Amino acid sequence: MTLFKNIKEMLKTLNGAQDLLSEMFEKRNSFSYKYEMATTLLNDATKVDKLIEQEIIIKNGVHIEIDEKYLKFFELILEVNEQISTAFITDTIGKIKESIIYYLSENQEEKRQTYLRKIKSALQEIARIINRSIIDLNRNIENTFKTETNYKIKLTKLEDFDDKRVQIKTLIEKTDNLITEEDRIFFSNALDVELEQIVNKLRLQLIDARHNISETQNQIIEYINQTKYKTQLIEKIKQVKYLKDQFELKSKTNFQAVLEQQNAFFFYPRPVFTTKISLSYLQTDEGRDLTEKIAKKFRNKTKPHKKIAQSINNEYLQTEVENAYFLDLEEVKRGFMVSGNNLFDFVRLYDFTQNLDFGERMTIFCRLVSTYEQEFVITDTFKTIDEVEFALVYPK
Amino acid sequence: MNLPEKTSEIFETLSRANFICSDSIDEHTRNLYDIINNNENTLKEYFEGINFVLERGNEYFYFSRKEAKINIENKMATAEKWIDFIDFLKAYDDNFTSGYRFYPREIVTKIHLDIGLKDKLDNLKKYNSTDTKSYEDKINELTKTLEKEGFVELENVINNQYKVVAAFKYIEQLVLSINIPDEMAKEL
Repeated sequence: MTLFKNIKEMLKTLNGAQDLLSEMFEKRNSFSYKYEMATTLLNDATKVDKLIEQEIIIKNGVHIEIDEKYLKFFELILEVNEQISTAFITDTIGKIKESIIYYLSENQEEKRQTYLRKIKSALQEIARIINRSIIDLNRNIENTFKTETNYKIKLTKLEDFDDKRVQIKTLIEKTDNLITEEDRIFFSNALDVELEQIVNKLRLQLIDARHNISETQNQIIEYINQTKYKTQLIEKIKQVKYLKDQFELKSKTNFQAVLEQQNAFFFYPRPVFTTKISLSYLQTDEGRDLTEKIAKKFRNKTKPHKKIAQSINNEYLQTEVENAYFLDLEEVKRGFMVSGNNLFDFVRLYDFTQNLDFGERMTIFCRLVSTYEQEFVITDTFKTIDEVEFALVYPK
Repeated sequence: MNLPEKTSEIFETLSRANFICSDSIDEHTRNLYDIINNNENTLKEYFEGINFVLERGNEYFYFSRKEAKINIENKMATAEKWIDFIDFLKAYDDNFTSGYRFYPREIVTKIHLDIGLKDKLDNLKKYNSTDTKSYEDKINELTKTLEKEGFVELENVINNQYKVVAAFKYIEQLVLSINIPDEMAKEL
């Protein structure tokens, strides 16, 4: 059933819904555009319902999305399609073949020209589609490798893209075969300058496409290998770690054998090579400078270590007062010099601040005589007191 | 034998158990890699004369010995430590491999949000020094260990950004070379 009377009506409808369609197109990959969002945007639920009725958008529960045929159309025209369809090219090749048969069988010149126009248009379309498919394929491979976080999905997607690559390559070969082998007679006998130009251009484009697709092949193999390596590594780390934690690594794997073969320096403590210094080098000027430098270093380094003394016992800090008698001999001598008495009697009778016995006074007498001998006159006259005999001493 | 220039520097670097990587941040190291790459056979023969084997990895070079000089238990302890480390790093991000860039503080942030990662880090405490307490300290210590072994290099001093270099593949290859019988692998 035709939903539009003519193309004018269809374009008018699409134009009326341009805001909604462009917003939905931007969010086409999230699959979460709600019916209410559309009614809010257009301020009119009937407009949205009309679009649903015309099968421009389809309703899926609370969500709505652009109908598949419109979506494909927009993606194809805007060249943003993520799905690479090779079926289109196969169809086109089929159509070219049909048109060639019709062209060769047709006798009316006008109809023949119509078939020829179709063939020319299809050939141009093929080149464009192949080129576009390779660009899309490369972009999708790149995006998948860089953004897909799940390694299993990444690997499956990359392998799918590799299948697509094989299909595109086959199509390139088929197309090339069509213009060079299968229908060579038609292409050489058509005698149309424009067709000849289109075919020549297509040949060049196919050469480019072959180069590009083989580059894509290298890239995808590299990415698949990297992804496989990472997947394998992560799996292996998990398994090895598990066995290690279970203390089974040595018994259940070749862990010991692997390490027996490994003698990398990584496993060894860092070696230190000590060598004796060359004596002849020390004889040189440079050696002397070096010696001085080292000597200086040692001097700075060998600062005596100050040991902290132990704390002083409190008992030692207790103050004890001890009184000692101090005799000022000078004072006694001065008294004697003015007394006019002899020294022995002076000392015997002198009023010391402390009581001194005879023996002590005799000691003081002796000390005075020996200390101030030069200032005294020691006579030869002797006197005896308490059985002690002493010389009489006077001041000079 | 005509030895290439900087042979002594190559020896100094490799004999200290370091790797020389083609993707090092240091231009000088990259230059040493190129010299080895262009004179591999000459240098291999020369170093063999002093019992050092020059080995080529995927974009890196290292030294190994002809015969084992340490017992297998020590090697196993080292390998097991690195299995724990690589398991933690891949759990943080399975893209953690040569060419990957990271900030230690980002790992710390993820640890606070991911209990599984936190558990793995807690299990690494046996390799930490005794004064390492906070998660930040632990990650910094792990980063320093990776840097010391030559698996990562500090790329940006200002924002503390590190780059994983080609030598990290050595650990990956070590794990990959462990063969788990198919039947057991299926069970795991």
